[in-house]
Amino acid sequence: MKWEFSNDAPIYAQLITQIKVGIVSGVFPPGERLPSVRDLATEAGVNPNTMQRALTELERDGLVYSQRTAGRFVTEDAAMIEAVKRSLAEGHIRAFLDAMGRLGYQREEILSLLRQEESKEETIHASLGM
Amino acid sequence: MLRKLLKHEFRATARIMGPLYLVLLITALGANLTTRGLLATRYRLLDLVGVLLVMAFFIAIVGVCVMSMVVMVRRFYQNLLRDEGYLMMTLPVSIHQQVWSKLIVSAVWFAATFLAVMLAFCVMALDVSIVEGFAQAARTILQEITAYYALNGAALMGELLLLAFFGCCAMCLHFYAALAVGHSFSNHKMAWSVLWYFVFSFASQFLFGALMLLMDELPLLNWVGGLVAGWSAMAQTHLLMVLMIAGCVVYGAVFYVVTVWFLKRHLDLE
Amino acid sequence: MPVLECKGLTKRYGSVQALSNVDLTVEPGRIVGLLGPNGSGKTTFIKLANGLLTPSAGTLTVCGVQPGKESRAAVSYLPERTAIPTWMSAQQLLDFYGDFYQDFRRDAAEEMLEHLGIQPRQRIKQMSKGTREKVQLIMVMSRAAKLYLLDEPIGGVDPATRDYILSTIIGNYDPEASVIISTHLISDVEKVLDEVIFIDRGQVVLQSSVDEIREEKGMSVDALFREVFRC
Repeated sequence: MKWEFSNDAPIYAQLITQIKVGIVSGVFPPGERLPSVRDLATEAGVNPNTMQRALTELERDGLVYSQRTAGRFVTEDAAMIEAVKRSLAEGHIRAFLDAMGRLGYQREEILSLLRQEESKEETIHASLGM
Repeated sequence: MLRKLLKHEFRATARIMGPLYLVLLITALGANLTTRGLLATRYRLLDLVGVLLVMAFFIAIVGVCVMSMVVMVRRFYQNLLRDEGYLMMTLPVSIHQQVWSKLIVSAVWFAATFLAVMLAFCVMALDVSIVEGFAQAARTILQEITAYYALNGAALMGELLLLAFFGCCAMCLHFYAALAVGHSFSNHKMAWSVLWYFVFSFASQFLFGALMLLMDELPLLNWVGGLVAGWSAMAQTHLLMVLMIAGCVVYGAVFYVVTVWFLKRHLDLE
Repeated sequence: MPVLECKGLTKRYGSVQALSNVDLTVEPGRIVGLLGPNGSGKTTFIKLANGLLTPSAGTLTVCGVQPGKESRAAVSYLPERTAIPTWMSAQQLLDFYGDFYQDFRRDAAEEMLEHLGIQPRQRIKQMSKGTREKVQLIMVMSRAAKLYLLDEPIGGVDPATRDYILSTIIGNYDPEASVIISTHLISDVEKVLDEVIFIDRGQVVLQSSVDEIREEKGMSVDALFREVFRC
């Protein structure tokens, strides 16, 4: 898993988002054990206390749970993972719409641009014989 | 912890002193060839080789003596006051242990150098009548001196060795103190060290001279003179030797205190 | 008990005030960045904390005692320069640390050296500058100390070595111990730190947590540093 950080948001908040992406995308599958705080921190190159804080918040939200001795596990609740996926997607869409709005596009124009992009991709796929 | 400091100090110095002693031994063997008769042949070339071998031997002796001094000063400087000082001065040991480890190891190397040079002379003269002649002469001289001054030659010899040993230690501490004081300055540390070495030398000579004058002025010396007048020449000489050894110890102790004080309170590594 | 505590700490060199009236507390389990431009007093502070210098005024305690023989057994110090004797082999260096520090984890050090491909018989002298720095860091981080004082651990090394050093620091994290890292390369260490201390001309100008700064100011510590120390 690749960890990337921007300069404007707290690191723990960025960690939460990236772990959520990991869970949604299956890097951390439902019901699987998460690596230890130390290993995750080393992998992400961040302070172990910050990683601990991110995991604690995820635990509070119910996305991960800990078993006293065995460690931390990803939730098996598919609906919850789906909801997280949805909220992450909404975040991306909002950011996208904001950026397009700053460029001066209206909603209708944005939708037609998206459709054009989609048909372009289809043509490429068709020409490759897929 | 002192034991561990000593162990690593010996490790660090032995890798220099060991090979030096080896060179000394080899040149002694070379010189042994000369004494065995290289000079007595008809060949000029062998004469030359013989002379060169003896020269090499004496250069090696001087070299080993000088190097044991250099190693003593350099170890203190390099290991405690330069980059390595960052490691050594943050070990969980006291400054006293640091200084003692350096001093003890230096003293052992001085003694070892003395023994090595003695041994080298024996090797040079091995199986040659010269050594017998030399020993014979020394014995005769000792006997004659002993008889003439009614001295105990062996005891005197022991005292002389002891004096030389304590003298070496005091000299070490003189160097240590100068380095420790010189390196408490933030710039030109080495120049300050050299200057302080001479300041200490001058101060000790001045004090010694003043003490002599004082002794002359005060009735003390007369009193002591009167006290020992009845003693034998031997006893008087022993007293003098003991006083000189004690002087060395005091001289060294003063420099020890100075060294420890400056390392503890005014250390300023670059 | 705080791992490090100082009150009114002051150090003068002649008439130059290198540190003035510094009050600081470092709790266990923290990785703290001591940040400031060159010559701001970072090295002076670290030298005071391990007793290489004596304070001119004020007090400083490490694990409740003044710097000295006792505190040094609990402090692992990485100096700014290479201090390990270069004539030693890796093996002899392990012996050295093992002899003097009871908390030295020789197996951990051996493992890290092996990972770098350093042979036990190899002499420090024969190693490149970067490798020497890594070896020195391995020795320092292989101790189970209460306080790690790392003076410019990532200055003057290549980016790969920098990553190695930072991940070694994270990998050896101990919740009972604290780490103080002095540096002026903030963007590289920012993610590794809990707290930062900004020091300028011998005075503490800010002590805060990294995420607090990002949350409240909406900028990275690096950006804030550039703002505070703008020339």
